[in-house]
Amino acid sequence: MVVEIAPRTFADGPRTFADGPRGVRRAPDFADNAVLVARDLLSPTVARLVVRPDAGVAPFVAGQYLALGVRVDDRIVQRPYSTASDPEHADAHEFLVRHVPDGALTPRLWELPVGSRVRLGPPKGAFTLLGDDQRAHLFVATGTGLAPFLGMLRTLARRQNPPRTILVHGAARTEDLVCGDEIASLAAGGLPMTYVPTISRPDDPANRAWKGRTGRAEAVLASVLRSAELPPEGLSAYLCGNPGMVAAAEIALLAHGVAPADIHAERYWTAAATTA
Amino acid sequence: MAYVIAAPCIDHLDQACVTVCPVDCISHDPAADRKAYIDPDACIECGACESACPQGAIMLDSRLPGAWAAFAEIDRGWWIDPEWARAAVDAVDAQVA
Repeated sequence: MVVEIAPRTFADGPRTFADGPRGVRRAPDFADNAVLVARDLLSPTVARLVVRPDAGVAPFVAGQYLALGVRVDDRIVQRPYSTASDPEHADAHEFLVRHVPDGALTPRLWELPVGSRVRLGPPKGAFTLLGDDQRAHLFVATGTGLAPFLGMLRTLARRQNPPRTILVHGAARTEDLVCGDEIASLAAGGLPMTYVPTISRPDDPANRAWKGRTGRAEAVLASVLRSAELPPEGLSAYLCGNPGMVAAAEIALLAHGVAPADIHAERYWTAAATTA
Repeated sequence: MAYVIAAPCIDHLDQACVTVCPVDCISHDPAADRKAYIDPDACIECGACESACPQGAIMLDSRLPGAWAAFAEIDRGWWIDPEWARAAVDAVDAQVA
């Protein structure tokens, strides 16, 4: 299709579509507006980054994501990460970040000195808890997909009568089952929780000492649904992480009788997984 | 590659895409524009905008049908020369209609 611009008075005279735009590219205004205040290696490939916005933490809801970016030459390289922070007590955002060796962003985040300036976008997304939902909450995560659930669990733990919660966390290696101590402390603090970590590659030498469950998160989910006496109408399900896991878990939940409206999903999309 | 906002956005400007875009790479001038524009250099191809758009106006540039092929250049051009992009939108809209 040949596009012809209809006659129009431009500031610099007549032209056609083929002439193309004239001028200098205007980049979006992505000013550095936050500081990297901590980076804790939780495993060889997963770090917890703590980022404090200059203007303080804007109101957000557990489960939302923010764009985290660093300046490279004259542009910002950024990717969205779910915040793991508790909205009621956050003076910074915690992110779980998996290192991607050939990625555009994560190698830089690994090398960035603590105290460096970064760009943090506004909180976004609708992958959040339903208010006052007393049904059992089933969380299924792979890898760093655990992050939004940490914020949600912290939020639920503050409720006077928190609902029953089940957390299935899958990872390829035991070392990537991060934040187990925090999860245990939430349970010890009164949150009625069943924590089900699972390893998808039991034959990997790195998992030799693992004595817990094995199998992919979605497969373990099926057995949890069978054994945990979870009636489908009394269940709110939240899925986060690998898109393949999310799709398979959705099928398992629907087969169990869970209504589509009670299944909430956040996919850590494929493009980011390979280029983050 | 990047996502592109094509003809169905014209005069709708729902802006659900702006709300969900994690990297804030979608913009427009409400006083002058008939559609929104994606910055192809900032787009991270997450697809959140495509899922959110109620008009079905957003797709990867590689999947644009021929009649909308010009929108890849229009979206890129708006970040350089908004006036040119607006004229192009008017022209494409007139031809498609």
